[in-house]
Amino acid sequence: MQQFTVHRIGPEIKIAGIDLSFTNASLFMILSATLILLLLFVGSKEKKIIPDKIQLITEMFYSFVAKMISDTAGSKAKPYFPFIFSLFMFVLFCNMVGMLPYSFTVTSHIIVTLIMALFIFVAVTIIGFIKHGFKYLSIFVPSGVPTVLMPLITIIEIISYLSRPVSLSVRLFANMMAGHTMLKVFGGFVVSLGILGGWLPLSFSVALTGLEILVAFLQAYVFAILTCIYLNDALNLHH
Amino acid sequence: MKSFLSFILIIVSVNTDLYAAEAGMPQLDPTYWASQVFWLILVFSILYISIAKFYLPKIKNNLDNRENKIKEDLEDANKFKDQSEIKLKEYEKILENAKKEVSKIYLESKNNLDKEIRSKKDKIEKEIENEIVKAHREITALKKNSITSIQNISVNIAGNIIENLSGDKLNESSVKAVVEDVSKKNLDKYL
Repeated sequence: MQQFTVHRIGPEIKIAGIDLSFTNASLFMILSATLILLLLFVGSKEKKIIPDKIQLITEMFYSFVAKMISDTAGSKAKPYFPFIFSLFMFVLFCNMVGMLPYSFTVTSHIIVTLIMALFIFVAVTIIGFIKHGFKYLSIFVPSGVPTVLMPLITIIEIISYLSRPVSLSVRLFANMMAGHTMLKVFGGFVVSLGILGGWLPLSFSVALTGLEILVAFLQAYVFAILTCIYLNDALNLHH
Repeated sequence: MKSFLSFILIIVSVNTDLYAAEAGMPQLDPTYWASQVFWLILVFSILYISIAKFYLPKIKNNLDNRENKIKEDLEDANKFKDQSEIKLKEYEKILENAKKEVSKIYLESKNNLDKEIRSKKDKIEKEIENEIVKAHREITALKKNSITSIQNISVNIAGNIIENLSGDKLNESSVKAVVEDVSKKNLDKYL
């Protein structure tokens, strides 16, 4: 669990009694953001008709997220494209940077994912009320449900709506933490079983690393697409 | 699974210190939560602003440019294709016209030549006929002349012969009349 510890780097910064020191978590957030900005800078530097590799990668990211948004939330979600793009890139790069040995995984901390999920939850709720007023509350009352079941369904809908930030944040956090813990456990097995028996967990570790890279991408994708779906609920009332 | 995890989370967040101490999950140690939230908001805001204001419009511009360029090029290609088809049709028309003209010219010149040849031939034939007629006339004139001169000669010879044989000088006109009479009778035999 040592890989998840947060420790201060540099001097202690206290503002109004709250510790806001620069930590290794902050360092890796900045590192991920810098990598994203670097990629985008190199990728959009030249206006080539035939793109080179890095330009192609940035344009693939762009069209990937654009397609994801238009598929799930429609054309009304276009103003939120920069936010979802930033969110996807940030989560993806934090996950991927966390896959490097000796690095720190920002997204394996519940507080980080919870803040992101809460922000999305609050923002989506506000957008919903701005777009539809009190009619937005009809999201809790699905149509075509028998009157007898209506109170129960409404309560379930409210609970499921309120649990969105929790499920969104815990999904990302738990996936990242579980994957890294598993890698750590198998790595420990390699050491403890030594040169004779260590080959099996070593091969497992290799396979798990591949799986974890997939999970890192998949969780970023899931996080972004769930944001799109919540946004879709707020923009287009379906119920 | 989801609800189980959230349940654990709620319990854990209520008794953070206790659980963190037992399981040793650094995630649940609240010492640096404020710091993480602060830095997350700071870094993400900067990232969001620079992406939204600077990079995304650039990438979008790039993509739009490419799409427009491809569309324009395709339109141009189609236009050029149409143009080339029109040109090809024109060319074929010109070729056809030229072929028609060639055959026309060929026919015309052939007809002209034929006519010329015919007219020249006719002219020559007429000339030849004229020549022949002329020659015939000359021949008949010669014949006539020769007859009178032969008669004259025969009158002279006959006069001389008779003079020599009988010694009488005969009247020339009577001899002439006899010769004319004889020659009229026998002219067909000689000519």
